[in-house]
Amino acid sequence: MKKGSTAKKVAGTIPVMVLLIVLALLVLVPVVWMVCSAFKTEREIISWPPTFFPKSFTLSNFTDVQKRIDILRYMLNSAIYAGGTTCLAVIVNSMAGYAYAFYNFKGKTGAFLITLATMMVPIQVIMVPLFLIVFKMHMYDTYFGLIIPRVAVAGSIFLMRSAFSGIPHELAEAARIDGLSEWGIFWRIMIPQVKPAIITLIILSVNGSWNDLLWPMLITSSTEMRTLANGLALFVGQNTIEYGAAFAGAFISLIPMFVLYIFGQKYFVEGMASSGLKG
Amino acid sequence: MKQIYRFWNNPKRSAWIFLAPSLVLLLMFSVIPMFIGLGLSLFDVPVTMDTAKFVGLQNFVQAFHDKRFLNSLRVTAVFTLIEVPIQTFGAMMIAALITKNNGVNKVLRGIYFLPVICSATAIGIMWKMILHSNIGFIPAVLQSFGLGKINFLNTPGLTIFVVTFISIWRSFGISAIVYVTAIQQVSPSLYEAAEMDGAGKIRQFFSITAPSIRPTFWYILMTRLAGSLQIFDIIYTTTNGGPNYTTESTVTYIYNRAFSTTSSMGYASAMSVILFLIIMVVTVLLYRRMNKEESS
Repeated sequence: MKKGSTAKKVAGTIPVMVLLIVLALLVLVPVVWMVCSAFKTEREIISWPPTFFPKSFTLSNFTDVQKRIDILRYMLNSAIYAGGTTCLAVIVNSMAGYAYAFYNFKGKTGAFLITLATMMVPIQVIMVPLFLIVFKMHMYDTYFGLIIPRVAVAGSIFLMRSAFSGIPHELAEAARIDGLSEWGIFWRIMIPQVKPAIITLIILSVNGSWNDLLWPMLITSSTEMRTLANGLALFVGQNTIEYGAAFAGAFISLIPMFVLYIFGQKYFVEGMASSGLKG
Repeated sequence: MKQIYRFWNNPKRSAWIFLAPSLVLLLMFSVIPMFIGLGLSLFDVPVTMDTAKFVGLQNFVQAFHDKRFLNSLRVTAVFTLIEVPIQTFGAMMIAALITKNNGVNKVLRGIYFLPVICSATAIGIMWKMILHSNIGFIPAVLQSFGLGKINFLNTPGLTIFVVTFISIWRSFGISAIVYVTAIQQVSPSLYEAAEMDGAGKIRQFFSITAPSIRPTFWYILMTRLAGSLQIFDIIYTTTNGGPNYTTESTVTYIYNRAFSTTSSMGYASAMSVILFLIIMVVTVLLYRRMNKEESS
């Protein structure tokens, strides 16, 4: 009797395992094939039938891509965009989250509703007026234009608000009695209490802006201002024949986020589960 | 100086200091653009952007006579109707299979999550190349099975499904992982009780797992729906709307009309307003449905 049910259990697990492995392969194959192809010679890339793993190993695609587009400059721009946005986002959004969690004041509901309402207006819907505003403020094609409008995010404010809500109010009261200023309470007492939420916010913000495509496309025009995602998309859009360089460029763009993912997988998952999905 | 400090150090007032930066930024770059967008939709704005002629509702009338706009709505609808059910129901089922925290499942989850770190550009490049009819690995494999060479990204009628697949490929993992987190919070005693009653795994999924994670289901449904209706970047990096506009989504068309040589900001804004209303109506309807279900 018992033996029969175990056999049945095993028989039931095999199709499930097959399904899960097929799905895993579906995810892995394109990524691995692309990474492998970045190290193939141009001749091997265009040979038919195509290979999966490289027969001969070359780094020439990486030098080729730098010859064709200034990929180092694009990376620098991506780093400035991701770094700048993230630094300001951490400060601005945690300040707001703290205010909503710890203070009672006139107009709180109103301010909160405004924040909530912005979740209903995605950038895709307001891209034309946003472009005009940035243009009229003379921030078009500048780092300021790239960074400033992307700093305040309702989702991040909610993430920080719920992180701060877990801290007992007595902690603030005690610090106040000790003579700490309001800013001091926030900066020295509260911020260290919500470190995991801040790491989550950093990871989501860095990943989001590093991979962002639409916004840099809207706000920049000169070659020197292009970010990696934006510049590569334009490069591949025009020249689909330079396969090796395209593979190398795409591979380069993956490395920083892959490293981030290895070290911060837990925070990635928590962030996605708590503060919303993109795309 | 000291007086200013004292004035603002009052907890009632300092709250506004903490709020001010985010409120100013959200107003400037989210709320005000919304109203400007509404206003712009009533004007005719040339490429030079120095004049604007009031045209009333003419942009909206034009949109509903614009074949390319109507086509883009249809493309977006097809895309949404395939993507959303797979993301909401498919991901839930897969999630139920990988909730246990053992080694195999952790590896699987890590793999499924991988596309999240890839930019739409990288995803576009890898899929464009692996499906490429001259250098692509997948057409070669299919050919070795005796199938003809299929041009996945350049066949009207087929390409929309390929692009939908790529978009699902991109975010299926996130949906699944969000479900996993929710399922792990379901009380184990419920499953133990069901096991005692002799309920099988499939039965347990439908009568315990699925009802317990309702809030997550609604959350994924609504975010995915709004996301699908705004699909842009995957299309931009794979087909850019081609072949023959068969994959041109509404946002892709709006982008092309606003920022190209035939730029028409007013008309693009009018189309954005229509898209926004569609998203609003769908979301509100779902939201009411959700509240009804939760109160019953």
